[in-house]
Amino acid sequence: MAAAAPSVFLLMVNGQVESAQFPEYDDLYCKYCFVYGQDWAPTAGLEEGISQITSKSQDARRALVWNFPIDVTFKSTNPYGWPQIVLSVYGPDVFGNDVVRGYGAVHVPLSPGRHKKTIPMFVPESTSKLQKFTSWFMGRRPEYTDPKVVAQGEGREGGNTEAVIPKAAWICLPAWLTLSFCPQ
Amino acid sequence: MAEVHVIGQIMGATGFSESSLLCKWGVHTGPGFVSPWAAWKLLSGVREGQTQVDTPQIGDMAYWSHPIDLHFATKGLQGWPRLHLQVWSQDSFGRCQLAGYGFCHVPSSPGTHQLDCPTWRPLGSWREQLARAFVGGGPQLLHGDAIYSGADRYRLHTTSGGTVHLELSLLLRHFDRYGVEC
Repeated sequence: MAAAAPSVFLLMVNGQVESAQFPEYDDLYCKYCFVYGQDWAPTAGLEEGISQITSKSQDARRALVWNFPIDVTFKSTNPYGWPQIVLSVYGPDVFGNDVVRGYGAVHVPLSPGRHKKTIPMFVPESTSKLQKFTSWFMGRRPEYTDPKVVAQGEGREGGNTEAVIPKAAWICLPAWLTLSFCPQ
Repeated sequence: MAEVHVIGQIMGATGFSESSLLCKWGVHTGPGFVSPWAAWKLLSGVREGQTQVDTPQIGDMAYWSHPIDLHFATKGLQGWPRLHLQVWSQDSFGRCQLAGYGFCHVPSSPGTHQLDCPTWRPLGSWREQLARAFVGGGPQLLHGDAIYSGADRYRLHTTSGGTVHLELSLLLRHFDRYGVEC
């Protein structure tokens, strides 16, 4: 029997990065990008974006609201490599430098309909105390040269990072990012 | 051949007395008995991996958000994939100590599932328990297959660890050709 010709399917993702809760930090902005397998390609919409800078609300919620739209369509022949959205949140530190406050990644939901996802954010952290102090003082925190590494499973043991940063361990900040998805 | 896609995340773990946790995971497929016609093939994805070490700052839950993306092809239902997990804790010197073993079957109905996998660890004699409390270490399994097989479990005396939380989505394909309704 002849093999069936590969069939193309489309995945449309409409949604927004709603808000975040970061108890310790303020004046944050977020960047999103998508990580997907080889059989996937974006056909419409923006694959990455940078949001506005937002400050905490004065009410009891202390939420950081972005309401940042996500609108992208992918086409693929294979569910393997289903797209993941990678979010990175940045903000100023005490000295005014822009430092990373959290990374997070989640798969785009697999079923059509409306989904709300709250994802934890984490930052890589140095294991040596001296390195931690120097990086706080100089404003050069451990940061990923390519945030897409957060969406990959391999190479996470020992918290490998490249370039400037020596060995880093990961710390999960008590931070939450809320996304709403309406994929079809 | 029928195909199974497992896409999801190992979200994190709660209920462990230790902090700074990491999880080694693996997927085991294949029959418990030798069977020539039921064979699972991993077409894409990595069969095992290890998460980063996570230290919760507030609250109890250690978050890993470790992605899992597997694509299997199979001719039979026997040996449905099982995910086995080993949770280890890392201290400030970089030594790793076992916190728990656990396993759960990959769900068999399509859709998104929230899974909670309980864990256990071998207890050992009272001397070993005392040593573990002060110095660390403690007994571990020599062969990992006791985690997901029931064969020699009666020899073990274990204590409970925490729970690992996973979110897995399942896509099934061509199962109707083999007479399986899903």
